[in-house]
Amino acid sequence: MSNLGFSFSLAQLWQVCGGQILLIIAGLALIIADILLLGRDKSSRTGIIGWITIGSLVAIVLHVMFRQWNVEQTGIGGIFSADRFTTFLCAVVIMSGILAALMSLGYLKNNKLPHSEYFILLIFAVYGTVAFIQSVDLLMMFITLEIMSIAVYALAAFIKACRQSQEGAFKYFMLGSFGSAFFLFGMALLYGFTGTVNLSQIAKAISVGGLFHQPAILLALAMLMIGLFFKMAMVPFHMWTPDVYEGSPSVVTGFMATAVKAAAFGVFIKVLFVAFSPLLSTQSGFSATASLVGLEAYWKPVVWWAALLTMFIGNLLAVSQKNVKRMLAYSSVAHAGYMALGILAANAEGRAGILFYLFSYTLMNLGAFGVLYIIDGVERGAQTLGDYKGIGFKYPGLAFLMSLFLVAMAGLPPTADFIAKFYVFSAAIKEGYMLLAALGIMTSVFGLYYYLRVIWMMYMEEPERDVRAGTLTAPTLVAIVVAAIGVIYLGILPEGLATIASAAQAGLAVVF
Amino acid sequence: MNAPILTYVTFLPLLGVLAILFLPQKSEQSKNIIRGVALVTSIVTFIVSLWIYAGFNPDIAGFQMVENHSWIPSYGISYHLGLDGISFWLVLLTTFLTPITILSTWSAIEKRVKEFQIAMLVLETAMLGTFVALDLFLFYVFWELMLIPMYLIIGVWGGERRIYAAIKFFLYTAVGSLLMLVCIIGLVYFHKEQTGVLTFNLLEFLNTDLPRLYELLFFASFAFAFAIKVPMFPLHTWLPDAHVEAPTAGSVILAGILLKMGTYGYIRFAMPLFPEGCAFFTPALITLSVIGIIYGALVAMVQPDIKKLVAYSSVSHLGYCMLGLFVLTRQGVEGSILQMLNHGISTGALFLLVGVVYERRHTRLIKEYGGIAKIMPAYATVFLIVTLSSIGVPSTNGFIGEFLILLGTFKVNKAAAVLAATGVILGAVYMLWMFQRVFYGKVTNPKNLNIPDLNLRELVYLAPLIVFIFWIGLFPNFFLNKMHKSVDHFIGQVQVTQHQLAQVDSDYAALDSIKEIIPLRSK
Repeated sequence: MSNLGFSFSLAQLWQVCGGQILLIIAGLALIIADILLLGRDKSSRTGIIGWITIGSLVAIVLHVMFRQWNVEQTGIGGIFSADRFTTFLCAVVIMSGILAALMSLGYLKNNKLPHSEYFILLIFAVYGTVAFIQSVDLLMMFITLEIMSIAVYALAAFIKACRQSQEGAFKYFMLGSFGSAFFLFGMALLYGFTGTVNLSQIAKAISVGGLFHQPAILLALAMLMIGLFFKMAMVPFHMWTPDVYEGSPSVVTGFMATAVKAAAFGVFIKVLFVAFSPLLSTQSGFSATASLVGLEAYWKPVVWWAALLTMFIGNLLAVSQKNVKRMLAYSSVAHAGYMALGILAANAEGRAGILFYLFSYTLMNLGAFGVLYIIDGVERGAQTLGDYKGIGFKYPGLAFLMSLFLVAMAGLPPTADFIAKFYVFSAAIKEGYMLLAALGIMTSVFGLYYYLRVIWMMYMEEPERDVRAGTLTAPTLVAIVVAAIGVIYLGILPEGLATIASAAQAGLAVVF
Repeated sequence: MNAPILTYVTFLPLLGVLAILFLPQKSEQSKNIIRGVALVTSIVTFIVSLWIYAGFNPDIAGFQMVENHSWIPSYGISYHLGLDGISFWLVLLTTFLTPITILSTWSAIEKRVKEFQIAMLVLETAMLGTFVALDLFLFYVFWELMLIPMYLIIGVWGGERRIYAAIKFFLYTAVGSLLMLVCIIGLVYFHKEQTGVLTFNLLEFLNTDLPRLYELLFFASFAFAFAIKVPMFPLHTWLPDAHVEAPTAGSVILAGILLKMGTYGYIRFAMPLFPEGCAFFTPALITLSVIGIIYGALVAMVQPDIKKLVAYSSVSHLGYCMLGLFVLTRQGVEGSILQMLNHGISTGALFLLVGVVYERRHTRLIKEYGGIAKIMPAYATVFLIVTLSSIGVPSTNGFIGEFLILLGTFKVNKAAAVLAATGVILGAVYMLWMFQRVFYGKVTNPKNLNIPDLNLRELVYLAPLIVFIFWIGLFPNFFLNKMHKSVDHFIGQVQVTQHQLAQVDSDYAALDSIKEIIPLRSK
C-alpha cells in the first residue's frame, strides 16, 4: 500500500481527491483572477472574487456530494481516503465555507475591509480542512493541519487595525503550534514503535501481541489526543478559544467554530476508532492478532472527564461573560463537550450523532455569527449584553433570527440541536453512561440561562443606547435564512439527515 | 371517526399564528384586528374540539382517536396522539380557557399585541400537544415547547420583577425536565434490552421490567420534574413569583392549565410507568401533599397582595390533586381529576377578576381596597360566587372535587384525610377574610369611589366560567361519567403491580424466615 509508484493513477486520484483538486484549482484561479482584476477598485474586486469563491465552493460541494458519496477507497498510496464518513464531513466543511463566504461579502463591506485576498485565504482554509479530514496518514494529517491552521491564523488576524484581532491571532498561532507539536511528538513515537504512519497499519501493528499496552504507545495516543483536543477546544486545552473567537472577524469566528471543529472531531474519530480502537479489530484481517478492545480502558476515563469538564467549564464560564461574542466562544467549548459524549459512547449511534451535531451546529453557529455581525455594525460596535438591550423591537427580524439560533443552541425543541443533543446523549446512555449524561444535561441548564439572557436583553429591557445595526446585504440574508430554515427543518424532520449520517459513520470501517 | 381530529385541534392555533404574522400593528385598529384573529382562532379551536366531545366514547378505557405515524423511525419515535377519559377534560379545559383568556387581554395588553397573541396561540398548541401525546419523545417536545412562550409572556408583559420571575420559572422547569429526558432515554434502552425493540411509545413501556434501583431512580426523576410543575411543597417557590409578575392572561393559563401538566404527568407517565417506584414514594408524596395543602393555605392567609394570595391558594389546591392521586382509590383519582378542572375554572376566574380591578386601579394590595361591593355590585357578586367555589361550598364545583378526594383518602389513610380537611377550613378563612377586607365595610380609600363596574366584555368572558362552576357542582356525574373507565384502568395499572409486589415481598419474607430456620437446624 505504501508503495507510491505502484498505486498511483490519475483516475484514482480524481476519484478520491476530486474535491481537493478542485479546491486547489479554484484557489490558484482566484489568485490569477485577482491579479487580472488589478485595475479595478478594491471593493468591486473583492465582490467579484467573493462571488467566484462562492460559485466554485457550490460547484465543489455538489461534486463532493454526488460524485464522491459512493466512492470508497484510499488514494495516492493510502494517504487520502474517500469514504462516506469523510465525504459527509467534507460536505459540512464546504457548506460552512459557502455560508461564511456569503456572509463575508457583507461583513467586509460593513467593516470597510475591501481586501480580495480574504476569499483566497478562505478557500485555502477550506482546502486544508478538507484535506485534513481526508487524510488517513498521520504525516499527511500533520501537513494538512498546518495548511488549514495557517490560513485560519491569517484570517483571524484580518482586521489589521484592531489590537484584539492581532492578539487573538497571535495567541491562536502560538497555542495552535503548541498543540501541533504534541501531535507531531505523538506521531513520531508511534512511527518509532510501529514503523508506519498509516492509521490502519498502526492498528495492525499495535494489536500484535498486545503491543498497545506499552506505555510508549499510550503516551503517543495521549499526545495525539492532546494535539487534537487543542483544535476541538476541549477543556483543559480550550484556553485560546475565547480570545481568538472574540478577536477574529465574526464570520471567521463562525467558520473556525464550525469547520475547524468539524475537521478536528472527524480526525479525532478517525485516529481513535481506526488506529486505536476495536472498530477494525473485529474485521476479518484481524482474526490472528489481539483485539484492541483493551485500549478502551485507557482512553475512556480520559474522554469521560474531558467531556464532563468541557461541558461544565464551557457553560459555567459563558454565564459570566458580558460580551455576546465571547459568550458564544465559551458556548462552543461547551458544545464540544456534548459532542465528546458521542465519542465516549464509541458506538454507531454516537458517531452518527456527532456527524448530525456537527451539521446542525454549523448551521446555527454560523447563523448566529451572521446576525451578530450585522447587529454589530462594525466589528466591536455593539457586542455587549448592554448593547443588546431593547433591540428586539427595533430590529424584529434580526432579533427573531438571533433568538431562534440561541434557542437552538440551548437545545430546546423543535430545533436541530435538540435532536443532535438527543442523539449524542442517547448514544452515551445506551452504553450505560447515565451519570455523565445526567451531569452533562444539568450543565446545559447554565446554557439555558445565558442563551435566554440574550433574549431577555433583546425583548425585556429598554434600550441603553442607540444601536445602529449594519446593512443587511442579500447574500448574508440568504445565508442566515437558509441556516434558520435548516435549523427548524432538522428539528422537525431529522430522519433524512440522520439516515445519511448513520450511513456516513458506517463508511468509517469500510475503507481500511 | 377517521379524520385526524386531535391533529386538527392541536395545530389549529398555529394557523392563526401564521395569519397574525402577516398583519401590521401600527394603529389601534390593526391591533384590534390582531386580537380578533387570535380570538376567532381560539374559538374555532374550541368549536373543533367539541367534535372530540361528540366522538368520545366513555365506555372505552384505553385510548381513542389514536393517530400513529412514524416520525423518526431509526429511533422508533412516532407521532402518536390519543385521548382517554383522563386527558379528555383537560383538552377541553385548554380549548375552553384560551378564548376566555384572549378576550381578557383586550385592553390589558396594549403594547406588542402581535407578539403577545402569537405567544398565546403557540402556547395553546404546546399545551394541547402535551395532553394528547402518547410518545415520550413527542411529549417531551411539546413539554419543552411550552416554556419559551410562557417565558416571554411573563418576561415581556409582566410586572416589575418580571425578568427574575421569568428566568426562575424557566430554570426550575428546565432542571426537572432535562433530568426526565435522561431517564426517558434510559427507560427506552432498558426496554430495548428486554424486547429488542427501540421505541418511544408510551404504551409499550407499561410492561417493561426495570431493576428496582432504576425503577426508583426513574420514578424519582419523573416525579421531580412533575413536582416542580405542579408545584409541590417545597418546590413551589417559583409559582408565587411567576403568578404575581405575569400579566393576567399569563396567570390564568399558568394556573388553569400549565400546573395541570404536572399532575397529568403523574397520572399518565410517572405512576403507570413505574408502579414500584410509585409505591415506594407514596408515603413521602402524600406527606408532602398534606404539607402543601396546609402550608399553602397558611401562607395565603397572610398575603397582603390578592394575586399572591390566589397563587398560594393554588399550592394548597394542587396539594389536594396530588393527595387524591396517590391514595389510588376511584373516588380519590376522579376527585383529583375533577379538582384539576375546578382549579382551572375557579382559580382562572379569580385571576381574571383580580386582573379586572388591577386594570382599573393598578394595585392588587388588599389594604388599598375596602367596601367596593357598593361601587361594583356585579363584580362583587361574581367574585363571591368564585370565592365560594374556591372554598368548596356545596353546589359549587369545588365541593365535589374536595369531597371526593377526602372521601377517597379517608378509605386508605385516615390521618392524611383529617389533616387535609383542615385545609378546607383554612381555605374558607383566607378567602372569606380577603373577601371581607376587599368588599365589605365602608369605602376607606377615596380612589375607589369611581371604579366602573364590569363591562360587557368582562361579563362575557366570566359568564361561561360561572356556568361551569354550577354545572360541575350540581351535575358532577356528567363529568365523572367520562372518566370512570379510564380511571379504573389507571388504578388497575398502578395497583395490580403493587399487589404483585406485596406478594413478592411476602414471598421473600417467607424465604428469609426459612433461611433463618435452616442454619438452626444444621446446628
